[in-house]
Amino acid sequence: MATLTAAPVRPPLVAWVRRHLLSGPLNTLLTLVFGAVFVAAGMAVVRFLANSDFTILRVNLALFMVGGFRRDELWRIAVAAWLLSLMGGLVGGLVAAAAAARARQTGVVVTGATGRGRWSVLRRFWPFGLFLVICLSLTETIQPTLVTVLGIGLAVGGYWLARRWPASWRRFLYLALPILGLAAYGVMASSGLGWSRWGGFHLNLFLTGAGLLLAFPFGILLALGRRSSLPVVKGIAVGYIEVIRGVPLITLLLMGVFALGFFLPSNLRPSDVTRVLVAITLFEAAYIAEVVRGGLQAVPSGQTEAAQALGLSPWKITRLIVLPQALRATIPAMVGQFISLFKDTTLVAAVGLGDVLAASSFANSQPAFNAQGLARITLPFVALAFWAGSYTMSREAKRLERRLGVGER
Amino acid sequence: MRKPFLLTLAVLAMLLAGCTETADETTTTAAGTGTTGATETTASGGGSATGSLLSEIQSRGSLVCGVNESVPGFGFRGADGTLSGFDIDFCKAVAAAVLGDPEAVEYVPLTAQQRFTALQSAEIDVLIRNTTWTASRDGGEGATFLHTTFYDGQGMMVRTDSGFTTVEDLADTAICVLSGTTTELNLATRFADIPYEPLTFEDNEVLQAAFVAGQCDGWTSDKSQLAGVRSAFPEAEGGPEAVVILDETFSKEPLGPAVRDGDSGWAQVVDWVVNATILAEELGIDSSNVDSFADTEDSSIRRLLGLEIEGDSGPTVFDAGLGLDPAWAANVIRAVGNYGEIFARNVGPDTPLGLARGLNDLWTNGGLMYAPPFR
Amino acid sequence: MENQPRTRPSFWRDVRVIRLVLQVVAVAALATALYILWFNLTNNLRRQGIRTDFSFLDQPFGVRIAGSDFRPGSSVRDAFWNGIRNTAALAVVGLPILTVLGVVVGIGRLSRNWLVARAASLYVEGLRNLPPLLLIVFAFQAVILRLPPARSPITPFGWLVVSNLEIHVPGLTLQPGGGQFLATVAAAVLAAAVVWWWRTRRQDRTGQPHHRWLWGLGIVAGTALVAYLLGEDPVTVSRPQLEGRVISGGFSGLGAYFAVLGALVLYTSSHVAEIVRGSIQAVPRGQTEAAEALALSGFQRLRFVVLPQAARIALPPIINQYLNYVKNTSLAIAVGFAEVTLIAFQAIGNGQPAPQVILLLMAAYLTFSLVISALVNVYNRRLRLVTR
Repeated sequence: MATLTAAPVRPPLVAWVRRHLLSGPLNTLLTLVFGAVFVAAGMAVVRFLANSDFTILRVNLALFMVGGFRRDELWRIAVAAWLLSLMGGLVGGLVAAAAAARARQTGVVVTGATGRGRWSVLRRFWPFGLFLVICLSLTETIQPTLVTVLGIGLAVGGYWLARRWPASWRRFLYLALPILGLAAYGVMASSGLGWSRWGGFHLNLFLTGAGLLLAFPFGILLALGRRSSLPVVKGIAVGYIEVIRGVPLITLLLMGVFALGFFLPSNLRPSDVTRVLVAITLFEAAYIAEVVRGGLQAVPSGQTEAAQALGLSPWKITRLIVLPQALRATIPAMVGQFISLFKDTTLVAAVGLGDVLAASSFANSQPAFNAQGLARITLPFVALAFWAGSYTMSREAKRLERRLGVGER
Repeated sequence: MRKPFLLTLAVLAMLLAGCTETADETTTTAAGTGTTGATETTASGGGSATGSLLSEIQSRGSLVCGVNESVPGFGFRGADGTLSGFDIDFCKAVAAAVLGDPEAVEYVPLTAQQRFTALQSAEIDVLIRNTTWTASRDGGEGATFLHTTFYDGQGMMVRTDSGFTTVEDLADTAICVLSGTTTELNLATRFADIPYEPLTFEDNEVLQAAFVAGQCDGWTSDKSQLAGVRSAFPEAEGGPEAVVILDETFSKEPLGPAVRDGDSGWAQVVDWVVNATILAEELGIDSSNVDSFADTEDSSIRRLLGLEIEGDSGPTVFDAGLGLDPAWAANVIRAVGNYGEIFARNVGPDTPLGLARGLNDLWTNGGLMYAPPFR
Repeated sequence: MENQPRTRPSFWRDVRVIRLVLQVVAVAALATALYILWFNLTNNLRRQGIRTDFSFLDQPFGVRIAGSDFRPGSSVRDAFWNGIRNTAALAVVGLPILTVLGVVVGIGRLSRNWLVARAASLYVEGLRNLPPLLLIVFAFQAVILRLPPARSPITPFGWLVVSNLEIHVPGLTLQPGGGQFLATVAAAVLAAAVVWWWRTRRQDRTGQPHHRWLWGLGIVAGTALVAYLLGEDPVTVSRPQLEGRVISGGFSGLGAYFAVLGALVLYTSSHVAEIVRGSIQAVPRGQTEAAEALALSGFQRLRFVVLPQAARIALPPIINQYLNYVKNTSLAIAVGFAEVTLIAFQAIGNGQPAPQVILLLMAAYLTFSLVISALVNVYNRRLRLVTR
């Protein structure tokens, strides 16, 4: 035992360099080559930042963020962002509280379950913070900064509230989440124009969230159908899943934009955003079905058998025994699906919607910036937005996996 | 384990509620378009102005206009997210005539491929998106084209230092073209006997980048668009002098608004909005002096602006029977000005595009802009 | 016995009846849904005077296609085939490259060299969190378009002709009498395959090293050399030649092709690398330790112990990435490379009926996906048989 608890002696810097950079001729060569690559890349980045004129971003920041949303109605976006920050804080707090409760029950302290250090949140969310800081540095008035600060404040407040809320009251918090989400949507959509004029990064985020939420129930039904013992039901589910997974999203978007109208009665004419949302939902349902199927397979068959022995009906077994366990196991894969959809929402630009990638194109055709090759500035900016979101989420998914103890039963 | 499930159910219920909410929205508009479907038959039979799409738009309170959002001068999205340009001004003009408010427009940005589907499927009321009037579009695409707002022609732009002076010089080069347009077909026709490589792009901005980088030696498009590009050609690449538009015009491109087949009442309204802007220029009415004609003796001006005309049986206001407010033309001119103003503001010599009136001048000045009499 | 009540449940609680009813209901629901869609479709198309059959496939496409000798008068069907060929050109070249790249980076992430591991993880985390469409647009606008313009190409090493329009690489040209040469080489390849099989069998029986690569390559290369010397230049290397504006000889690819290829290979390889890393880490440590105990070198450990086991774990997710790659080639529409989706776009834009065109497009991708997964499944089964 003593040998195990002995603190590892951290080798001094020289020893570390020896071991990790210069052990043997091949390793030394690799170190030299990659060192040169790193230095060159770093210099290129510095040169790019120093020599570029970011006016195009400064002027068009609102276009990138909210597209054609009416500028006199921007307060709606701010209020919605506050509601969503509060929601994010509450979710974070609930997860933390659940993990803490689990740790107390089992006596197992999962690494990272107790927030190590007050600043761990900075370490975890730095890409997100970096993107926010860059955006705010491009603004000209104080308002966006105030909105952001208040948003962060609400998120922290929500986290604090959810952490300290008595466990018996937690159900009210669960109820508060969908209400907050719907309220945010309502505030944004009630500008009299629905969502048909939404654009920019805002549209990407909306399509990701709405697409996943709408596809979720379909996905669960498909997954259950695929595992059904009824051959016809199984056949329909398998056929749907395989066909959808065999074609690219863009073909479904094309179907939605160009051909959906032909499949609907002639008096039903949805807007472009609705069409795209339908296509994304149909597409995403097949992928969520596969994720849920993975979760269902992870539930030991003994669980079902035990439930059958207790005389539960098949519907009750699914609802009370199988699904709750399966869905918990799918959380990490579901986040992966979320990230993948988030990135895929850029495809709507290819069918003529004004998302953030299309905004880059609009900005580059404005008279002041026309044909000056400024895509080399706008595209990295858009890339950073997606990278910050995806990278942070994928790391949080791994963390969540550990904290919820998925996979360790 | 029970609670999360109930929670999920609650979320789903909420979502469904949300869906029905949006579904309601769609059905409201759908019910509206339903009326269109019904009137299509009556309108095509009787051709009366009442009960057409016009009354639907008036009760809805906004005009749905299919537009372009990336062609400088005609329709493009500015940094403030709003659309502006020549075509956009005509959307505003129609809204001003029909609703009295030039801002009561819902713009639907459309790609070249989408536009006719959008029109056919009643997603938009009118298509004003630099669209060329052709026979097959009139016939096969179910569109009715109205008074041409801009007479254009397809041209070819090359670099000045390339030395190309005719289209034939471009043999064995690559030529950039936007896909899904008549431009693409005209190019194939004109270059039937000339070897070339067509580079087809979906997006104007990518095409422009490719041309500036020299991926293609020629860029073919409507000459007005080429002029816009030329005027804004980056200084780093030599400015407007670095490129030249070849003299040859190898197609006729009359661009104008289009509406769905079968609703002549609505078609006449849009047609006369365009006519009114031309008439106003002819009569010397513009947005700055439109309110100063209250005492004018000129009866054609009085008729157009909906001012009272002394007759045998007392003062009357001329009503052309289009189903519009008598002051509709005055509203149009107050909102966007006459044709000359719209032209000058968006594409004229003082704008980056710097286009001369040319074919688009009034017939009295040797152009093609001619409006039937308003009486 | 006679006192016992009937044990048969009433028929509506009979599980067989329930199953039957449920399935009939499912079929009926599906059929109704499909019927409603079909009814609307035919109704709408008829009302708008759009044809509902596939006869448009024989109509002229109307425009030319870059990078091919496609004539505007050729049919829509031919245009579709042209597009499918272009999609295949992206898949055939891209898949092997991205596999190798992914494996190398995946192993690199586990390198003991700190800098190499950092570089590999930067590569993976940087690329896989970006939208592929954005990568393609960026590769086109910021990399390909930076190459010299089409009017003044450069000729690096004298063997390449490079401009942002096209990149030409040397190719092989068959001279008269080349057919004989090719036949000889083909025979040599066949012979090498037999020898390969023999050497493998021999190792299985005797345990002596098979050296099957050495044998196989030796036979093919030797035969090819002899045949080449005996024949009179049966195959010559053709170098791209610049004559005025026309470049002749060699193979060429459009700039847009390389943009799509490069962006998607980088993007997909970052996913493959992550799979490879996970699979290698999933191989039990004891395996490596045992190999060390057998005094295998680092390379041997990787080649004979770790990678074969990791490959079995990695294969299913890598197939998925292959399919994603093929599906992502549809994003080439953003930069104007004429693969099958762009052809469909053009067809719709030039007045062909959208529902049929999109159905054809979906069918094409579905076939692609099924063929790839079938091929890899064959390989997968073989792999499972060999490793006991």
